[in-house]
Amino acid sequence: MNVLELKNVSYMYDDGNEYVLKDISFAFEKGKVYAIKGRSGSGKTTLLSLISGLEKYKIGNIIYQGKELNAINLDYYRSHSIGIVFQSFNLLPHLTALENVVLSMEINHIKENKKEKAIQLLEEVGIDQTKANRRVLKLSGGEQQRVAIARSLSYNPDIIIADEPTGNLDHETENDIMEIFTELAHKQNKCVIIVTHSKNVASQADIVFELKKSSKRK
Amino acid sequence: MYIIKNAWLSLIRNKGRNLLIGIIILVLSIATCITLAIRSSADQLVNSYNSKYDIEATLGMNRDNMMKDFTPGEKPTEDEQSEQEKPQMPEIESLTVSEIEKYGDSEYVKNYYYTYRFNMNANIEKLSSSNSDDKRMDKKADDMNSGDFVVMGYDSYESMSDFISGKYTISDGEVSSDFTSDSCIISSELASSNDLKVGDTITLISPNNEELTYDLKITGIYKENEEDSDSMGQMFSDSANMIITNKTVSEVIRTLDEDISMILSPTFILTSEDVVDSFSEELANKGLSEYYQVQTNLETINSETASIQNVAHFAGVFLIITLIIGGVVLFVLNMINVRERKYEIGVLRTIGMTKLSVSCQFVVELLIVTFISITLGIGIGSVLSVPTANYLLENEIESSQQAQTQVQQNFGGPQGEEANRPMGRDGGRMNGVMSLDKVTSMNAVVDIKVILQLFGIGLLLTVISSLSAIVSIARFSPLTILRERS
Repeated sequence: MNVLELKNVSYMYDDGNEYVLKDISFAFEKGKVYAIKGRSGSGKTTLLSLISGLEKYKIGNIIYQGKELNAINLDYYRSHSIGIVFQSFNLLPHLTALENVVLSMEINHIKENKKEKAIQLLEEVGIDQTKANRRVLKLSGGEQQRVAIARSLSYNPDIIIADEPTGNLDHETENDIMEIFTELAHKQNKCVIIVTHSKNVASQADIVFELKKSSKRK
Repeated sequence: MYIIKNAWLSLIRNKGRNLLIGIIILVLSIATCITLAIRSSADQLVNSYNSKYDIEATLGMNRDNMMKDFTPGEKPTEDEQSEQEKPQMPEIESLTVSEIEKYGDSEYVKNYYYTYRFNMNANIEKLSSSNSDDKRMDKKADDMNSGDFVVMGYDSYESMSDFISGKYTISDGEVSSDFTSDSCIISSELASSNDLKVGDTITLISPNNEELTYDLKITGIYKENEEDSDSMGQMFSDSANMIITNKTVSEVIRTLDEDISMILSPTFILTSEDVVDSFSEELANKGLSEYYQVQTNLETINSETASIQNVAHFAGVFLIITLIIGGVVLFVLNMINVRERKYEIGVLRTIGMTKLSVSCQFVVELLIVTFISITLGIGIGSVLSVPTANYLLENEIESSQQAQTQVQQNFGGPQGEEANRPMGRDGGRMNGVMSLDKVTSMNAVVDIKVILQLFGIGLLLTVISSLSAIVSIARFSPLTILRERS
């Protein structure tokens, strides 16, 4: 069953003069890893922004679990239904790894055993308790990305969206991170959508979409 | 709850940034605390000063209304000017005791008294001026059969305002506290020229009928202190031929000689300065002639507290300037702060925190800094404001004590330690001067009112300076922020 579906979505920035995305149609299911490939400027990050509710689409439809995405509360959607992992991690630097994950739970109004659940999630992605109590800036890039993944899982969303999650990481760490994503999809039945231009990442995905540069605005 | 927790974590882990804001708010708090304390102290001093003096209302001539009814004389002809052709001022009837009692029976009046003034001859020599003009005036007065001496009749110490103000002081003897006795006080000049002393008796003689006489025992000799009384060409003071006695003596003389002309001057002690207009209106309704008008000592009282009010005014202006500058600095700092924290805002928004929650977190952070800074500011400010307010207070207490002692001495009362003993009717109040409530404690300087005002101002500044953060948070798109960062 499709958890998320794009139907003929086109997008152009307010200050732009050409479509960044034109007539895009995808369908995403739970339990699979999707890779969205494309050259720079092909609209990968824009597509991710629309899927994650960071931008509102104007043409076409994005359907989440049968509901039009623009019609639902996007703050709630972002904090409950999807987990976002960025290339630059986007963690709060003044907090520890554990506090970053706990804060995400608190925003989602999770009240019980937050700390225990956060520690467990961090351990699942390879962050032990000692590192969990360190400020994120004292962790390596790979460790920060693991914290970002743990944070995205903290409220048990249906969809994990990752924007170049391994872009700043070495090959070995890239494989480790991909292993986590694959397990999330196959063992925890999550829909994992990864925007990447890495062939290695794309090769480990179940389904690969490729974006091509759209045409000029009429 | 997590907003407060996150705000606290953000504060303690970004000490440098928040320390700067904290120091600015601390300086603002100290300045504001001292200013508010000085204002509060100045208000107390002004109230204390005002409580020393009653609001006195007297009835004076309304010259404007008199001039309206002024009848100008016709242009004189070569022949002798007739009586009808002379310019004439309207005739004003003297106030009667019953009228004064009627006016005094008012909700706006705490107390009232009145003095008699009339002219009598006496068995002593009057003092004549050497000035030829004055001699002509004296001759004219003699022709009018008005009497050589001015007699003043008072009914209490309160009514003897010239002694309270220090214009006259007793140099020998005292003003008798028995205001029904056949006693009087005379000027030192009159006593000297007639070789009179305390304990002697003088006889007042009616200018209308020499058979009508009245004996008064001299209980005191007074002198006039005002320097300007010694005007050019005048040998004696204005009061040289004035005999001061009491109301009872005046009323008996009036009973004995119905033809004698007496002027009654009432003084009404009003309940507050706010009732002056109402009292004037009431007197007009009760039939007071339009040629009279209510005059008060408000201007004099206000001039006494002008310097203190100036201090309070200066403190107020300083407070406003401080708050404006402080508010602008805080606003700008917050704008910079928000720009520095755009990334954090973007992350919080991306992981689902609403704009309202992010704004709340920023406001809570500023509130915590403000609360801590104001609390410290109150402590430091109260310590610094105490010596300032004490200095003002000490000066005020000293001057009021001097005034109190001086008034007692004017009446020939006790000096030194004894000077603090209450004097006057019922051993208490005398125009308020004796019953001054001295402000001796500094506890009220930074009181709960000042603290509440300070926290109110702090809250207001926080809200105003947070506006920049709130507007920015509402405007920022999380994606734009994160894209800029990438």
